[in-house]
Amino acid sequence: MKENIVNFLRKIFPFLTVIFLWRLATPFWNPGGILALIPIFFCTFIRPTPWFMPFGLVFCFLIDYNLNTLCYWTAIYCLCYAINGFQIFVDLRDMDYNAIDIFMIFIGVGIFLSEIIHLNWTVFGRMVWTFAWITTLYLPITNFIRTVEHDR
Amino acid sequence: MIEKPTSYKIMTIIKSVAAAMVLPVLFIYIMIAKPDYRIMNALAHVVLPVANAVGDVITWPVRVVGTMFDNLHELSTLRAENEELRVRLSDALANKNLCDVSIAENKKMESELGLARSIPHKTVIADVIHDNRALHHNTFLINRGTNDGITPGMVVVSPSNQFAGIIIDGGANFARVRSVTDTDTNIAVRIAGYEVYGFLTGNGSSTPTIGFFSDPNFRAAADLQLITSNISGVLPAGIYVGSMKNQTDVNVLNPGQLSRVIVLQFDNGSIYQ
Repeated sequence: MKENIVNFLRKIFPFLTVIFLWRLATPFWNPGGILALIPIFFCTFIRPTPWFMPFGLVFCFLIDYNLNTLCYWTAIYCLCYAINGFQIFVDLRDMDYNAIDIFMIFIGVGIFLSEIIHLNWTVFGRMVWTFAWITTLYLPITNFIRTVEHDR
Repeated sequence: MIEKPTSYKIMTIIKSVAAAMVLPVLFIYIMIAKPDYRIMNALAHVVLPVANAVGDVITWPVRVVGTMFDNLHELSTLRAENEELRVRLSDALANKNLCDVSIAENKKMESELGLARSIPHKTVIADVIHDNRALHHNTFLINRGTNDGITPGMVVVSPSNQFAGIIIDGGANFARVRSVTDTDTNIAVRIAGYEVYGFLTGNGSSTPTIGFFSDPNFRAAADLQLITSNISGVLPAGIYVGSMKNQTDVNVLNPGQLSRVIVLQFDNGSIYQ
């Protein structure tokens, strides 16, 4: 019984992490709940979790609602999912450091494209900070998910 | 490396095709559903409260600690705030008689000139439940929605009657407000005491900029007061917006300063887009 509950909690941990990070949105540390993109990216592309794609889609939509960016992150997520599924050259699951370089491209291009129309010094500063902060937290969060799921 | 079975490869391709097919659907929707995006907003009105409720359950320990620290900080600043408020109250009381006389004179002049000022027929008090400031977006959520008669286009002011933003979307029990500092904000304003009009544009920072003055020779200076103008009938005239910081920047109300707001419902039904 106890083991079943622990296994269940272990299975839903990535989902809970997404909800946790999205709900704790604050203007400076987690604008619009954008940190939730870390587990969404990780559990979709690097460590595929069953039924995570539709869940990630819903939370990309909710991040878009918070950020007032109509379907922007939802579209980027779908685009990346499609590209990753069609290509056979790179297996993201085998990459070092949980494929942080690919995540940096994903988040960097995403933030840059969403802000390019409104670019000024204030927005540029926030953009750089958000990018640096998300990429800094990527490895701790993803390693934590791996640890909880006994994945190493 | 383990060779993946063919069924796995086929499933991956099917899922990728499904994801790829979402893209044109979203693109077409964005093109045709302008400007209110009803389906997306209606979807958000269902998904958001559910996700918030689940999130509240998961994050309650963190939020309790956060609230505790906020309360401690508030308590520590209470004495200084009290002293400051006493000084401000003394100043306000000193000006009160002067203001009463000015208001009476103003009413008399308005009736003599036949000016019609739009007055809100109903006000709704709401609490700010979520501050959504992020990158260039400055929106916030309030705890009143369509159930309380709130609809997009309504004006939101602070308890001190300073312009705070515009309702851009309303769910049953919440509404999203576009703050005056948001990059999508572009409102017509007038310099109080002058017949000079301009446009206030949000830029994502705490101080929006003003430009396109109706009088090209007018030179704005610090401390000039700005109020909304009724150009094109989009916003009711006479709501205090802020004061000039320098020639172009304006000190306005930021979402972080707000905990409670008032939503104004006007008879004229003017809708701000």
